[in-house]
Amino acid sequence: MNPLLTTRRRALRTLGCGFGYLALAGLAAQEKARASINPLAPRVPHLKPRAKRIIFLFMAGGVSQVDSFDHKPRLIQDDGKMMDFADLRSLAKTGKSPQQRVMRPLWNFAQHGESGLWASDLFPEMAKHMDDLCVIRSMHTEGIAHGPATLFLHTGSTTFIRPSMGAWVNYGLGTENENLPGFVSLSPALGNGGPRNYGNAFLPAIYQGTAMGRAGIPATEAAIRNLKPARSPEEARRQFDLLRELNVEQLTQKPGESELEAVINSYELAWRMQTTAPEVLDVGSESPETLALYGVGDKETDNFGRQCLLARRMCEAGVRFVQVNYGDNTNNPAWDQHSNLKKHGEHAKAVDKPVAGLLADLKQRGLLEDTIVWWGGEFGRTPYAEKNGTGRDHNPAGFSVWLAGGGFKPGITFGETDEFGHHAIIDKVHMHDLHATLLHALGLDHEKLTYNYAGRDFRLTDVYGNLVKEVLV
Amino acid sequence: MFPRSTFLPAAALLAFCVSASHAAHVPLTPADLEFFESKVRPLLVERCLDCHSAEKKVKGGLRLDTREGWAKGGDSGPAIVPGDPGKSMLVTAVRYTDRDLQMPEKNKLPDAEIAILEKWVQMGAPDPRLGETATKQQTGLTLEEGRKFWAYAAPKQSPPPPVQDATWPRTGLDHFVLSKIEAAGLQPAPDARAEALVRRLHFNLVGLPPTPEEIDAFSEASQNSPQAALEKAVDQLLASPRFGETWGRRWLDVARFAESSGGGRTLLFKDAWRYRDYVIESFNADVPFDRFIREQLAGDLLPAATPADARRQLTATAFLALGPTNYEEQDKQQLRFDVIDEQLDTLGRAFLGQTIGCARCHDHKFDPIPQRDYYAMAGILASTRTLFDYEENVARWIAAPLPSDGPAEAALRDHEGKVAALQKDLSGAKAELAALSKAVTQEAVKPGLPVAPSELPGIVIDDAQAKLVGEWKHSTFVRSYVGAGYVHDLNAGKGEKTITFTPTLPKADRYEVRLAYAHASGRASNVRVNVLHADGEDTVFVDQTQAPPIDGRFVSLGKYRFEKEGAGYVLISNDDANGFVTVDALQFISESEAAKKDQSADAANPLRADVAQRVKKLEAQLKQLNKEGPVRETAMAVREDDQIADAQIRVRGVEKQRGETVPRGFLRVALTGETKLPSSQSGRRELADWIAAADNPLTARVFVNRVWTWLFGAGLVRTVDNFGTTGELPSHPELLDDLAVQFVAQGWSTKRLVREIVLSRTWQQSVRSESAEDPENRLFTHANRRRLDAEQIRDTLLSVSGQLKLDYGGLNIIQAGEINPNDFSAQNVEYGYVFADTRRSVYTPAFRNKRLELFEVFDFSDINASMGQRNVSTVAPQALFFLNHPFVLEQARAAAERGLGSNGDDAGRISTAFRRTLGRLPTSAELEKCRRFLGPNPTIETWAQFHQTLFACVDFRYLD
Repeated sequence: MNPLLTTRRRALRTLGCGFGYLALAGLAAQEKARASINPLAPRVPHLKPRAKRIIFLFMAGGVSQVDSFDHKPRLIQDDGKMMDFADLRSLAKTGKSPQQRVMRPLWNFAQHGESGLWASDLFPEMAKHMDDLCVIRSMHTEGIAHGPATLFLHTGSTTFIRPSMGAWVNYGLGTENENLPGFVSLSPALGNGGPRNYGNAFLPAIYQGTAMGRAGIPATEAAIRNLKPARSPEEARRQFDLLRELNVEQLTQKPGESELEAVINSYELAWRMQTTAPEVLDVGSESPETLALYGVGDKETDNFGRQCLLARRMCEAGVRFVQVNYGDNTNNPAWDQHSNLKKHGEHAKAVDKPVAGLLADLKQRGLLEDTIVWWGGEFGRTPYAEKNGTGRDHNPAGFSVWLAGGGFKPGITFGETDEFGHHAIIDKVHMHDLHATLLHALGLDHEKLTYNYAGRDFRLTDVYGNLVKEVLV
Repeated sequence: MFPRSTFLPAAALLAFCVSASHAAHVPLTPADLEFFESKVRPLLVERCLDCHSAEKKVKGGLRLDTREGWAKGGDSGPAIVPGDPGKSMLVTAVRYTDRDLQMPEKNKLPDAEIAILEKWVQMGAPDPRLGETATKQQTGLTLEEGRKFWAYAAPKQSPPPPVQDATWPRTGLDHFVLSKIEAAGLQPAPDARAEALVRRLHFNLVGLPPTPEEIDAFSEASQNSPQAALEKAVDQLLASPRFGETWGRRWLDVARFAESSGGGRTLLFKDAWRYRDYVIESFNADVPFDRFIREQLAGDLLPAATPADARRQLTATAFLALGPTNYEEQDKQQLRFDVIDEQLDTLGRAFLGQTIGCARCHDHKFDPIPQRDYYAMAGILASTRTLFDYEENVARWIAAPLPSDGPAEAALRDHEGKVAALQKDLSGAKAELAALSKAVTQEAVKPGLPVAPSELPGIVIDDAQAKLVGEWKHSTFVRSYVGAGYVHDLNAGKGEKTITFTPTLPKADRYEVRLAYAHASGRASNVRVNVLHADGEDTVFVDQTQAPPIDGRFVSLGKYRFEKEGAGYVLISNDDANGFVTVDALQFISESEAAKKDQSADAANPLRADVAQRVKKLEAQLKQLNKEGPVRETAMAVREDDQIADAQIRVRGVEKQRGETVPRGFLRVALTGETKLPSSQSGRRELADWIAAADNPLTARVFVNRVWTWLFGAGLVRTVDNFGTTGELPSHPELLDDLAVQFVAQGWSTKRLVREIVLSRTWQQSVRSESAEDPENRLFTHANRRRLDAEQIRDTLLSVSGQLKLDYGGLNIIQAGEINPNDFSAQNVEYGYVFADTRRSVYTPAFRNKRLELFEVFDFSDINASMGQRNVSTVAPQALFFLNHPFVLEQARAAAERGLGSNGDDAGRISTAFRRTLGRLPTSAELEKCRRFLGPNPTIETWAQFHQTLFACVDFRYLD
């Protein structure tokens, strides 16, 4: 049965009215939203939330699972052999899949911590935190090329124009700090979906992500746009006073207009943001120990370290959804090692310490309990060499992500790929399922988080998605 | 999109003919029964029935709890072909070999259980479980029921209803509105003051504020006869080119107009501006709306009296091509259907107010749109070509050459002939040069002798520095090698060996990539080489049976762009090679270095120098000719596909799950006669005719309602893009019908309709607060207070500051004229774009991945989807924009300079500023506050702050 329909029918029953009324309710609600009620006010979630906020560490381009968290001895055993694999790109293009050469992982695997979870020495610092991680090794998703797969990761659709996950969360939960945006994407790329990856699509614009900085610009320059006052404090004050006076004067001509009051409120909020937001974004007040923990100050890790540190500061200040992007603006984003897989090492170097630092810092501040940290890319990579070369091609059929904190079971793995690490086969978790599960942890039922648009209710998970209870505490 | 992940794809549709009856007649032996009961039944219960039984769920329409259930099968047909596991979808699904068909969804069954099912099917699937499978499907209205729903029934004209206050109405329209107001016991609002009315009129019709002079003239004329003053002003504004710019912009929202594809790999729509201009022109010329529809859907198929008509009509079809297409989708069949989906969704919303897209996967759940109708229309678009090519790694649109007028066309053809001739000469000369170069340089570098990489120009990577995979044999047998020798593949292990060269290039540039190989007998003629460069990946094949043409050592693999120290590589494989594959070295020559090298070769050989000179000359001539000659313009367009065919239903909307073939056609609920489509054409022209027909119940209503919405801020049907059963009912159905019928009867004239509405008394009411009886103003008892939209804000700022440039039409993306849009580096034009022009906002480059910040902040619609009505939000980033954005500061400064340039005292300047910015004089209190702020001797800076404050104040953003 289509769950969307059940929801709809339930809604109709509850309202006891016809279809027309439902559409109308949506319109009236929008009218209201545009007036006095703050649409970003915190809202009561559907369920008892395990987490209040989420940090998504996006590894653009696709990290190789078989070189990081999915340990497959068969790859070492059969290294160099030509074997049959269902290669998705070849199948999509030609309907056939030629034989492929098995390629062993370039990094050595070992078991770590009390949990004994496997991780390779690609991420030596993260490996120290295996007891905190819930590694899902049976991910699969849609889209063989970066654009479609990246859009799918963020919006649940490879093609259609849909709101991003952060916008849905913002819509579902509101923000806890009205002086800050509820959803921030740090240094997002212009390519592979660009603004759609943090866009609101048909949701009201207020729920869209706020981009800070951009891929290719140093994190030190990432800022909320137009936040920096254009004039000296005294001048700005004087000018703002005039604005207030004129607005009050104009409002007295048109009393009781909630819409106009909303504009005036938006100025008051903007005025406050100019002072509060920069404090949150200034990492200067952090101790040298903390900076070092994130690798801030070291050439290789400074940039991503700053981003991770900013993520923690924003979470502390009440931002609901922070996405930290490790990528660039090209068509072959960072982790996209079609050749020269060794280059994974350089990227790992840049993110490993900052991510481990973030985990340690959240933990020591007691924030990890109600903060989800989600690490992963849009897909994984093939266990065989691409075109018999030195790299690996995209693999949406099986890959790994990990989650930490926020009600996810620590120190476990969930699901398995086949013996080569190619296709997920046991306890498969589709990207829709991950979305549903993340929403659940935040207290949102993915089947109830709907928005009526163009005559029907839409959800992040479309008509799909199953909650993966097994990974939650 | 047609989702890929699903449970029941096409595979076993072959088996459709082997149906239930066969299964029913297999007699059960005791052994069969024993096997079923002991092995199969428990397995089905444990693994399958949670999702495929009447008791629980019936996913994919498939039941496995009765024999009838699997025999009849789910949405894609029978699940089991008794006796043939290979053809049974159930077996395919549990084997987990087809990624689109894997069951159980989450976990592959243990091999032993798969074997049980295989054996069971092999045995003929003996199954004692009898019982009916009732299929129940939720659908929307039937076609019959649907035709009774208001939107699908023909609009009826009714006489204007009687009203109590007969003095109030000025037009027929007013009767419809007033009668409802009176019926509710309410009063219409008083007429708006002239000052407010003229401002409202200007913004509504031309999107710009009236000048102080225009305000004065209108106010004065209004004192004598308000209606005559309004009529005059309306006619003037309708005749202004600014009208088409403003109203065209509204249509561009509906047409999801953009100048890049956005999404994954954004591509620049270099020619999209022609469509934008076509729309602006059409509104200015008041092209009948039915023709406007026909041109956009089938302009390429309509007769054209003049080349200008042919150009317009071809350009108009960009409507179908402008979507946010995901050109890099790897499954091109999927891509074709994604495009069709988007087209159907857009044209359904834009013209018909229908959510046709809902019928892609199943019959529409609410509206009378069966899935068949969707695929009937899909067949028309599948017989239409929107993509240039169905094979390319990254697809692209069609850039159709545009015809020109008589002499211009003759000049173009003449020019094209000359270019072709010159190109022929040039390629001849180039071949000669290549031959000579070979001779010369072989002589020059003494063939047969090894050469060190350092002696060669450019970046040279020897095979020794490359990554070898598989067994390659080192050799120095053919002596003309680079570096320490070369390698060959022993002519064995085809497909198992590769060599990858990963260059470290010192600078980003275009490089000619050359491969050195050892030429001898027995070489392969088809050596595959992959080049991954900054703009994508190319495959070239090298014929090693031929001597290397360059210096006897190298062959050129082409010129490619590489980033500095980027991820590029060159990979040579022996896959499918039909002989020995040899690899010696790779050379990367930047374009500038190549030029240097040619010079040295010429010095060594005068004959070569001659030919080189000739090549250069011809190239220069060609360049000159191309520069001087007329340019054949191109437009984004669609055309008929080579293959005209009906489409198959895609079961559950999954592209690969093909169902029944449906004859091409339209939405039957809105169809009066028979549909007869030509077998030699797509049927697009007939589709356009059906939509634009006078008796289509939806089209005129939907458009009339749009016009009403654009003028009132709320529609008679407020769900402007949804006239289906989930949309809102019209507040004034008789009025909507009356307007629609008249609109058609009077030639589908938009200007006439606008004029009629604006001259109504209803439109001229003043703004007042909402009443408790009609909180949403559905009765139009007063004018809605409206927000300036993003374009109006920007255009007004520029107009107040005196910076607005009123250039009409034409390309407005800097650099777009110089780039090849099919070169992927074209996306850098978008990513790096600096929005600097001060033309009207309708001309601001409409990139999908990089928007003008002001547009983003002020609710400019998402240009990825057809949007008849934008969201409206009031958020802090808008306030921050007015407080701190450089654009606002610049315009405030320019406005201050403009104000100081005029004579008069500070009070006069304040008043002028108010009139220009807010369309009214300051109140005495406002004047006083502003004077106090400015102080006795205000600097330009203080004036700028004052102007900025006017931009930021509440009244600026609202229209009374």
